[in-house]
Amino acid sequence: MNYAHLHLLLNHFPIIGTIIGLSLLLLSFVGDNRDLRRSGLIIFAAGALLAIPAFLSGFGARIMLSRDPGVSSALLERHEAAAMLSLWFMETTGGLALVALWRSHRTPRRARWHLPVVVLFALLTVGLMGRTGETGGDIRHPEMRASQEAIVVEGTLGSVVHAFEPTPEKFSQAVVGSLWLWGPLMFLHFVGLVLIVGTVGVFDLRIMGFIKQLPLSPLHRFIPWAMAGLGVNVVTGLLAFIGSPDRYVTSSAFWLKMLSLLLLGLNAVAFYLTGISERVEQLESGEDAPMRAKLIAGSALLLWLAVIVFGRYIAPLSDTLPPPAY
Amino acid sequence: MAVPEFFGTIERSGLSTWIRESPSLFAFYFILLLHTVGLSLVVGANVVVDLRILGVASALPLKPLKQLFGIMWAGLGINGATGILLLIAYPTKSLTNPLFYVKLLLIAFAVVTLQRIDARVFGDGSLSEASMVARGKMMAMWSLLLWIGAIAAGRLLAETFRYLTYADILKGKA
Repeated sequence: MNYAHLHLLLNHFPIIGTIIGLSLLLLSFVGDNRDLRRSGLIIFAAGALLAIPAFLSGFGARIMLSRDPGVSSALLERHEAAAMLSLWFMETTGGLALVALWRSHRTPRRARWHLPVVVLFALLTVGLMGRTGETGGDIRHPEMRASQEAIVVEGTLGSVVHAFEPTPEKFSQAVVGSLWLWGPLMFLHFVGLVLIVGTVGVFDLRIMGFIKQLPLSPLHRFIPWAMAGLGVNVVTGLLAFIGSPDRYVTSSAFWLKMLSLLLLGLNAVAFYLTGISERVEQLESGEDAPMRAKLIAGSALLLWLAVIVFGRYIAPLSDTLPPPAY
Repeated sequence: MAVPEFFGTIERSGLSTWIRESPSLFAFYFILLLHTVGLSLVVGANVVVDLRILGVASALPLKPLKQLFGIMWAGLGINGATGILLLIAYPTKSLTNPLFYVKLLLIAFAVVTLQRIDARVFGDGSLSEASMVARGKMMAMWSLLLWIGAIAAGRLLAETFRYLTYADILKGKA
């Protein structure tokens, strides 16, 4: 398996996911169906998580294909720029969906200012993801192209969107070439790490039974701080990757770190979508959590430790995988 | 500047050379990893205590959080030990960078603050939650700022050093 396989395996999830999520969310307004709304929001969060490895593997595939004389570099660059723009909108939509989930969980009948914002971002994401899929298809499927030649053909809307798409090359040079970008980026990444590990750590330790005197329900108030840390680290982490993808793509530790993060996503599903979180949340001071909850909390702690370990070993293991070759 | 010759002496020692030059993944990078784990323990637990004192999750009883101080002191122990090992590996790199002394100073103040929160807010079992919060507010704010400053200084150390080893100083002089 190579990066192109991985990319093709992953890249349909964010595109189809946002369409399904948006449909569910819009349908949920008919008759105010809360379960549909929740499903739509969860799908956005999952799409945002899966979009990350889809994007990262795309960089590997690009490095591979850029050495193939049969592939147009103009088409590659257009797809890369489209992917970058749609990624930021996907992550924002996912982040807003998590905020909406948390708020509707706390106070189900509060003013829902966030839902129209989620819908707006989801609409934009669907459009931009569509463009990403189309420009990606153009690279390898001449039968789909507007022109028989491997050249970039833009419609009116396409050229407007293109004006907002970043130029990856310029950004890479800025990050790698400047201490004043790289240093602060890594500083923020560590602040995010501390926020996540502190809040999630105390939550998980309590569930496991170590600080049993704490009642669980008020601990949920720390979750926005954990989400803020996660948001900071997704943004700073992606910027670091875009700044020097070559360093990451060939590091086995980097992919193991990404795998650990995906497993943490599954861990969150196991906790929040199986009914166990509702039981855990009612625990008062001194009460013991069910064994299943303890196992989920313990594995989350181990996975966060794995994220730190593999993150630290990205640099020394930066050439343990063969460079993407065609 | 008088060349501090003992940097060179430390760097030639077996331990320093091994940490710096061993290709083993359990040399330099493992120590650095433990330093990061220690950081997450100290500052992570601190963040929760400080935020609680500053009013986040105010329904959470404050007193049981005393157990988190054990985690913080353990993290500090790890980072004292691993910090000394990293200093033995690269004495020139650290000690010729003014930022290193800023980092140490920030940590010193942060640890004093930590000790005072431990003793004055959590040490007196007869205090009510409200008076614990009233006593701790300023210290909690300082604690957050000092740790964030220490992380910033620590991260920038990797980017701002002037000389990596004693040999670099000699080259610079010649």
